[in-house]
Amino acid sequence: MSLTDLFRTALRSVFANKLRAALTMLGVVIGVASVIAMLALGNGARAAVDATFQSLGANQIEIGQRFSMQDGEFAPSGKILRYSEGLDLSTNIPLVERVEMSVGKTLKARFGQNSIEINATGTTADVFEGLVSGGDVQPVGWTGGDSFSADDFLGDGRFFSTDEVYAGAPVCVLGYQTALDLFSGDNPIGETIRIDRTRCTVIGVMVELEITDLQNRYQSDPNEALLMPISAMIQELYEEELSVFMTAHVTDANRIDEAKEQVTAYLREKHQIEQDAEGNYQDDFDMLTRNDILGQQQEAARTFSILLAAMAVVSLVVGGIGIMNVMLVSVTERTREIGVHLAVGAKQKDIVFQFLLEAVFISASGGLAGIVLGILTIPFAAALNQGVALLLPGSIPLALGVALFVGIVFGLYPAVRASQLDPMEALRYE
Amino acid sequence: MSVPVIRTEKITRTYSMGESLVTALRDADLTVCAGEFIALMGASGSGKSTLLNVIGLLDRATSGEYWLEEKPVSSLGRDELADLRGRRIGFIFQNFNLLPRLSAWENVALPLAYRNGQFGHQDQRTRAREALSSVKLDHRADHQPTELSGGERQRVAIARALVTQPAVILADEPTGNLDSNTGVEIMRLLKELNEEGGTIIVVTHDMNVARHANRIYHMRDGVLKEGESANVAH
Repeated sequence: MSLTDLFRTALRSVFANKLRAALTMLGVVIGVASVIAMLALGNGARAAVDATFQSLGANQIEIGQRFSMQDGEFAPSGKILRYSEGLDLSTNIPLVERVEMSVGKTLKARFGQNSIEINATGTTADVFEGLVSGGDVQPVGWTGGDSFSADDFLGDGRFFSTDEVYAGAPVCVLGYQTALDLFSGDNPIGETIRIDRTRCTVIGVMVELEITDLQNRYQSDPNEALLMPISAMIQELYEEELSVFMTAHVTDANRIDEAKEQVTAYLREKHQIEQDAEGNYQDDFDMLTRNDILGQQQEAARTFSILLAAMAVVSLVVGGIGIMNVMLVSVTERTREIGVHLAVGAKQKDIVFQFLLEAVFISASGGLAGIVLGILTIPFAAALNQGVALLLPGSIPLALGVALFVGIVFGLYPAVRASQLDPMEALRYE
Repeated sequence: MSVPVIRTEKITRTYSMGESLVTALRDADLTVCAGEFIALMGASGSGKSTLLNVIGLLDRATSGEYWLEEKPVSSLGRDELADLRGRRIGFIFQNFNLLPRLSAWENVALPLAYRNGQFGHQDQRTRAREALSSVKLDHRADHQPTELSGGERQRVAIARALVTQPAVILADEPTGNLDSNTGVEIMRLLKELNEEGGTIIVVTHDMNVARHANRIYHMRDGVLKEGESANVAH
């Protein structure tokens, strides 16, 4: 029988029993919907990770103080993370290229008659590199595309060096607006300003900058900045030393886990953290890399995905058995018809294909309905999983493939059984 | 009348019914030549339907040899039998056996559909309509079987049997489900087909049907015997 004839015959048989076909589809519908929802969860988790990746580079380790409940308050546990430890990390661990740290405070700055409030930032020598790699700040009127360097941020003078950061040198670099406000247009390089009660020599002024990434509008205006070595800032402008947040840049992103171990070992030694009786370390710091975020997201998605996968498998098997059952009933009901087909020359494969196509048609229809249901389910799945679920386009052909597979696997036995009927007995069947 | 369309030699068909063995057909010798009209008579259970099924390749003989158009068929496989059945044999059943969801012409075209794509959709339609017009039913081509009277249904079935231009038409009680007037009409139609050269074997227990035949065979307890010609008897 030609393919179009087969299709027409199968379609007619299904439509002759619409309600039965619809009920039979139900298992496949739910199974396919589960597959769609499951893959959307995985995909959503991946998208969430991608979003996080934009803020955390593949070669970065974030290191922060661990806090714990002490006397009803959240307080740093153990020893604080010192800026000097951050500076030492890059000298003692070859895998660590540099460590970015910063602390900020609103202070009064004064030069001559001019006095303003500024957001002072204590930072490391390579802060501009962070700005460059962040990619969301550029000099006003910049036309050179993405290819600017740290030097392009500097209008006049120089930036402080790593040695000055180590030494705690009382130097500072002014933002464009800060320089204007304090010096009213005069050249500030080499002048000494007062920040609170501390004296500080201006060694550089930045060009006027603009924030290009609209999503980062909330960050403070870089033109109103005052940058100084983190060492000088903490020594001179804080009452007591504070715990700093560090971003360690690793030389090779592929060896980030190795670097993480070395940083851990280094900090444990510095903080005198020993193994306890059970062999665990009670660290007073936490570290985070891309891999950690990935792991957390996957963990969150996994539990729900397993549930959905189980539901998908059960529904598809039950749906498949339902199809098989209905097809067996259908074969029995149509025994006489099969006899007529055989009498007028139908070969075994003709009968197999007719019934198989009918089963596949039911399962494929169920698959399509399941895809629609699955897509409608995604918002609910997202609500149950921290808002993370996103339709994976590839899941649609996959789900359809699964539906077809179920139809073929479970439709085969009834179809083969139909094809093996004895023509004479089939014709005599009442 | 020289070419044997059907020739059987001592064909026997036994069934196992639980413990016991039933012989439905015993050493039947039958030769039917082209253009003959044969009636197979006998009480129900006499084995006449068994013989018809074997001749129609719906069933296999337990022993004996059967040549269809000089070709031995005993050793053919299931699909080869189906192919031969579809090409060379036309069936007419007591209960018409039309497919309920197909229109009249689609029922008629069904044997053509199983000819490995030999006939396209249009070709099938044309040939089916020709066959329907030969039974004077072309005006009902697009009707479903449920919309047709008993006589019309049987004429559709005859058209289906004719559409492949088979070597032989096998009719099993073709008037059994029809009122006598309609039955006469159907028999007249079969007689016409025979006069145009068609080879026909009718199974019946009705003498009014059998009298159209050139030769009559009687079956009793699985044994086939040639009887007197109905035409001669009249």
